[in-house]
Amino acid sequence: MTGQPLLGLAGVITLLVLLLTGMPIGIALGLVGLGGLALTLGLEPAVIKSGVLLFETLTRYELGTLPLFMLMAHLCFAAEASRDFFDVAARFLGHRRGGLAIASVAGCAGFGSINGSSLATTATIGLVALPEMRSRGYADSLATGSIAAGGTLGQMIPPSGALIVFGIIAEQSIGALFTAAIVPGITQMLSYFLVIALWVRLQPGIAPRLPGSSWAERRAALRRILDIGVLVVVVTGGIAVGWVTPSEAAAVGAAGALLICWLRKRLNGQTLRRALEETLRTSGLIYLVIVGALIFSAFISVTGLTEAIGTSIAGLGLGPSGTMLLVAAFLLLIGSVLDGLAMMLLTTPILLPLVTGFGLSPVWFGIFLVRAMEIGFVHPPIGMNLYVIQGVAPDVSIGRVFRGVLPFLAADLIHLVLLALFPVIALGLQHWLGR
Amino acid sequence: MLAWICGGALLVAMVTDTLAMLGRAVHVPLLGAIEVVQTAVLFASAGGLIVAALDSAHARVHLLVSRLPAGVRDALARLHAAASAVLYLALLAGSAWIASDLWNGHEESELLLIPYRPLRVALIGALAVLLVHSLTRIRVRQRP
Repeated sequence: MTGQPLLGLAGVITLLVLLLTGMPIGIALGLVGLGGLALTLGLEPAVIKSGVLLFETLTRYELGTLPLFMLMAHLCFAAEASRDFFDVAARFLGHRRGGLAIASVAGCAGFGSINGSSLATTATIGLVALPEMRSRGYADSLATGSIAAGGTLGQMIPPSGALIVFGIIAEQSIGALFTAAIVPGITQMLSYFLVIALWVRLQPGIAPRLPGSSWAERRAALRRILDIGVLVVVVTGGIAVGWVTPSEAAAVGAAGALLICWLRKRLNGQTLRRALEETLRTSGLIYLVIVGALIFSAFISVTGLTEAIGTSIAGLGLGPSGTMLLVAAFLLLIGSVLDGLAMMLLTTPILLPLVTGFGLSPVWFGIFLVRAMEIGFVHPPIGMNLYVIQGVAPDVSIGRVFRGVLPFLAADLIHLVLLALFPVIALGLQHWLGR
Repeated sequence: MLAWICGGALLVAMVTDTLAMLGRAVHVPLLGAIEVVQTAVLFASAGGLIVAALDSAHARVHLLVSRLPAGVRDALARLHAAASAVLYLALLAGSAWIASDLWNGHEESELLLIPYRPLRVALIGALAVLLVHSLTRIRVRQRP
């Protein structure tokens, strides 16, 4: 590796160092990208290229998808939908051994279908489900582990903030990514159900049986999520079958959430202002990261680093599956020192051309990358979901939370390998729908 | 105020895209909806960048920093503010450069003829706010 690829590698290392010093991710990406472009193309083209990228990015039609889905989530949160999702699952499953833990995972999946963030899902469902499980005699390890792992579903089940960011920086259809995420999201949820079922079978004492709910109570709980349920079906189903574009689905979702908030008598000036402020804050931080990532990406592509790495890896003769397992190991390693967003933005410009070079689908790679990111949310030293759970239950040590999440982590790794070996898990639904 | 102005832009995008979708369903297309959404998104995103910066909400990696002594963290925070100022300055310069080059080109959208000049000026204004904010942060001592 000589010349410009070496400069690209130096840029990657510099970026890693800057990120570890705690520099805002978007600033670090943009600065390294800008500096690199200045060294390769000259200062004037670098500055102009950055200016062009900024305006082009911030006027992209698809960019509206992200804040509108966030607005939908904040409005649904204001309408107290998070509690309702858990309540329904608890009414139907709570009487089974480990049922509340399964209900927590199902609640995370339900809340994940209106919200694209792993941390928000963990915190929201954690606040509702964790006290319930602990007061009913569930072991702390099972209670905290199931929510920390279940929270990662927020990032996989559409609408997913991470997939929108990937779609924008990798220039892939957000609708295709959302459709491809449905089956991996469902199978991930089912794998957590299986873990809980096996765990309580081996250690029945960690989850006592509870009295069941009557059908009248179940119907009442179901009625409470009917409105949000219809919204979720319209939004996610509409994208999957091609009735609406992701941007339109986000707009309809936000408008529907606004209507639900009003019908539930939870809409007032303060609620709307808070929802808008939260949306602007979160989307603003992601926009900076996206702009920075695009500048960094432009630098990496100019250096030819990706081609150099691709040639080196092709020389190993591992084939597509072997290469993907190598990529998975690399992502898990990087995920140990960087948080999910940083990992995605650092690795996408390098790995995506490599993956497509092997004839693999970029949509599938997006799902694979987000799945790898999710694992980073539940394993130390980053493991943000573990800390979120500890924030909800400060008397439970971080070690105990981690021990609780270990069985789910094992399921995650198996799921990731299956996703690498059988891309049809992600791409099958799209083919079946003929899209 | 910023939340209402830029949030308002977001609500405009929401209403426009919803009407466009409904219009398409009843075969009454809402021409130019995409251009309205693009314009609204620019205002919302420029506002979002400012809100995130003012609230120090930008995403960062905390793995090492949280274990460092307060003095080092303070020095790093100032260094990061300086780095932010450099990036915002470069983006401001690049945006101003393009805006001045295209000023007499009278850029506008295809269907609704929305002029691009005010959009470019708004973006430059937002970058100027971000630059000033970063410069002031260089002088602010972080609380222990």
